[in-house]
Amino acid sequence: MEHLTDSLSVKELKDILVKNSISLAMQGTFSQDVMMLIQAKINKLPNQKIISKKIFALVIEMAQNIHHYSDNRVFSEKYGKDIGVGILTISENETKYIITSGNYVSAEDAKEINSRFKYLNKLNDEELKELYKKYRKQPQRENKPGANLGFIDMRRKSGNPLDYEIQTDENSKSFFILSVKVNKEL
Amino acid sequence: MENFSIPSSTYIPRIDFNSETNILEIEGESYHEYTVEFFKPVFEWLENYLGDPGKEITFNFRMTYFNTSSSRRFLEILNMLEEYQNEMDGNVTINWFYEENDVDMLESGEEYEEDVELDFNLIPYTN
Repeated sequence: MEHLTDSLSVKELKDILVKNSISLAMQGTFSQDVMMLIQAKINKLPNQKIISKKIFALVIEMAQNIHHYSDNRVFSEKYGKDIGVGILTISENETKYIITSGNYVSAEDAKEINSRFKYLNKLNDEELKELYKKYRKQPQRENKPGANLGFIDMRRKSGNPLDYEIQTDENSKSFFILSVKVNKEL
Repeated sequence: MENFSIPSSTYIPRIDFNSETNILEIEGESYHEYTVEFFKPVFEWLENYLGDPGKEITFNFRMTYFNTSSSRRFLEILNMLEEYQNEMDGNVTINWFYEENDVDMLESGEEYEEDVELDFNLIPYTN
């Protein structure tokens, strides 16, 4: 049999996925076509439809954050411009589904993230709703395609605090990890 | 004036604006990455359409999912309709359809209802 030079790394990857109960992992750019495939996969999860919809909504917001704001960007023929690269996984434990994203962020964004998430995690449902509505009324920001509502929406859809971390790598680049949970029983 | 329509695709909604019946509908999923660009012709058509006073308009939202970026576009549409009703002698009814058990979609409708002064019907359907 021909020797497969990368078989070891695939085995290692598989072991990591199994060990962490990761049912879906994607690294790279996230186009709308990829989202379609993810949607099909989520719809096969054994749970209520409303939970699948929540998971899909979270995946979309996280993937589109990566698309627009990841500091690591590659040129895309399809879009005719540079788009963001990152990693996204769906895993689960006994009580929750966990959607996790990872991407490099600019030094400027890294500074904001901590205070922003601390604030969001403090708010109750009613306060989150009011904040969402307040931000939604604001005009579109210059040169930013998003609505600046993604993190608030994630916090609301999740019903749990948002877990996050910024790791600084050997090149002093900031890698932002965000983990959002959805309860299996609503 | 011409009617306006966009066929649905996996991440864009079906849009049907009928200038003769004054029934405007948007249905399905909306998670385009660049909603400013996607909705630009929608707003252009609406601006033109709302230039004539006194229409009785029914706007039907039948969404199953939309992203936060589309969420702001929908508010902008509702604001245009509110302004039309207030300043152009119009009469606008919003029908917000949601799947019976979809609490998130019902809440979305309620939040729009709170933000604009228009006749707003929240209508559950079963699939």
